[in-house]
Amino acid sequence: MPDIRLDAITRRFGQQVAVDNLSMTFDEWTVTCLLGPSGCGKTTLMRMIAGLETPTSGRIFFGEREVTHLPPRKRNIGMVFQYPVMYPTLTVRENIALPLDNNAGLDAKTCQARIDEVLNILQLGAVANRYIDQLDAGTRQKVAVARAVARQTDIILFDEPTTNVEVNAKLQLVRAFKEVAQRMRQTIIYVTHDQTEAMTLADQIALMRSGAIVQCDKPRALYNHPTTEFGGWFLGSPGMNFITAAVKGGRIEAPLFPAPIAAPSGIAEGEITLGLRPEALRLQAAPGAGTVPAVIEDISITIGGRYLFRLGIGGISVKVKHAGGAVSGLEMRRGATAHLECPPAQIAFFLKGQRVAAAAG
Amino acid sequence: MSNLRQTLYHALLWLISLLFFSPVAWLMLSSFKGRNDILAVPAKLVFTPTLDNYVQLFERNGFLQQLLNSFIMSVAAVIVAVVVSFLAAFCFSRFKPKGTDFLMFLLLSVRMLPGTAVILPVYLMYVAFGWKDSHAALTLFYAMFSIPFSVWILKGFIDGVSLRFDETGLVNGASWWHVIFRVVLPQVRPGLIAAFIFNMIFVWNEFLFDYIIGGRKTANVPVALATGAYADGGVDWAFVSTLSTVYLLPPIIAIYVFQRYLLVGMTFGTVRGEV
Repeated sequence: MPDIRLDAITRRFGQQVAVDNLSMTFDEWTVTCLLGPSGCGKTTLMRMIAGLETPTSGRIFFGEREVTHLPPRKRNIGMVFQYPVMYPTLTVRENIALPLDNNAGLDAKTCQARIDEVLNILQLGAVANRYIDQLDAGTRQKVAVARAVARQTDIILFDEPTTNVEVNAKLQLVRAFKEVAQRMRQTIIYVTHDQTEAMTLADQIALMRSGAIVQCDKPRALYNHPTTEFGGWFLGSPGMNFITAAVKGGRIEAPLFPAPIAAPSGIAEGEITLGLRPEALRLQAAPGAGTVPAVIEDISITIGGRYLFRLGIGGISVKVKHAGGAVSGLEMRRGATAHLECPPAQIAFFLKGQRVAAAAG
Repeated sequence: MSNLRQTLYHALLWLISLLFFSPVAWLMLSSFKGRNDILAVPAKLVFTPTLDNYVQLFERNGFLQQLLNSFIMSVAAVIVAVVVSFLAAFCFSRFKPKGTDFLMFLLLSVRMLPGTAVILPVYLMYVAFGWKDSHAALTLFYAMFSIPFSVWILKGFIDGVSLRFDETGLVNGASWWHVIFRVVLPQVRPGLIAAFIFNMIFVWNEFLFDYIIGGRKTANVPVALATGAYADGGVDWAFVSTLSTVYLLPPIIAIYVFQRYLLVGMTFGTVRGEV
């Protein structure tokens, strides 16, 4: 079982650089999600790993084997696309069996055993003898996954497999992927632009932007400690608040704080960007220690009955996510005054888009 | 549209169709008439049908060979052409080699050349190679003439097959061979049949090249018709009508059977299917 090693991979399409001098190792038996906005090069990167695109320069290794110029068939990979393509004249079982039958090294008994195993894992037993036309999009996608998994390749690639599936089926599908990932020992790369999916599935998330991997870390670490402003903005719903503040004599002044707070050590005088998660900010009805008054500009309700506030404080605007029902004692209307506390321990500091230090404490 | 108007339209259409069909009908009827009935004035619509003309035709020296030549050369040439064209079209459609657009344009313009423009150099070349009056050489020439049009038709069809099919095949361990013949080919079957029929009709109707670079051994039906039409100091109408009827039947049957695909072939490229 090999890992996947990318060595200074670049892919250009004419003038446009899709993947820019990227080096990376995806460990064996892990699930890595490539996450990023549209056009960041994640799909191109995956297609190069699959062998559907050839890198303009750089090399790709599976374990010790260099595969840069091998056709997909010789790479021992499986791949699932956005749109599942199947033989409409064959049943689900036959569709899964077809790639196995073309693999000369397998006897009929092993084939059947493998098919039964994947049908079982993906709970496709009930539809095994149906034709593809009779299935909905989510189930078709499951069959595509089953077909790829049954071949027991070293590596499985998923290219936004849930994009064309409706919401309920999507959750089921993601659960099925998770099941597959846990039962089969395969190195999995999963491309998505949906961060919830990435958070659910991944052992590690590689966050991509403009053809480069910005940060690669465990989901929680990536969320809690983004190394770039982009990471803080892209992850989370909504992403971080960014506030520009001035550093003077080792202290930072901003309308968010009743008194200046200590700047992280080694920061020169000048401007700094503060990153604040909307869920880290606390809102209360009465003034308290460390709070500042703020005017409610907007209130909306998000998933799980959480309230999302937009507050104005001295010319800046911040988003605050409040867990649990309404804030006790607070007038829940636009124009009302609330009191906002910003725990200094939760602040991330960025200089020119890069994180400079953890909170000063 | 009112019923009466529709009936009138249909009647008019039928009238025009019959008018255009009447020479063909006269020819076909003549093949069942005795020699005296054929040229009777006014034309006889009621006569005693006879199969004498057909018996004479098939007993004629060399006729069976000529009919066989037509069949064998058209089928062989078209099979070669469709196989070569399908692979070429797949390459143009999928790998898009440099200059694909120019090559496609060139292919089409070659097809526009009238046969008479190339007959002299082709004749000299065939004589120099010693290929005159050879079945294989004529078949090769007809295949060459059929390829451009077939590539055009088939490229349109293959372009209509989404790349997703190829890619899904490839990443699931299929070879190019499998992708080309088991994944793409079944989806362009109407195109293959259309290309087959269109070229078949072209080769079946071909006279000039068979007459010039063919010979006694390879003469086809059109050549037989041209060379046998005059006998005893006049046109042998019994022979002409009988041979023409025999000659017309295979294309009519083929078109009737495959008309569905021919319509697809004529409108190829105008509608692209996506998954």
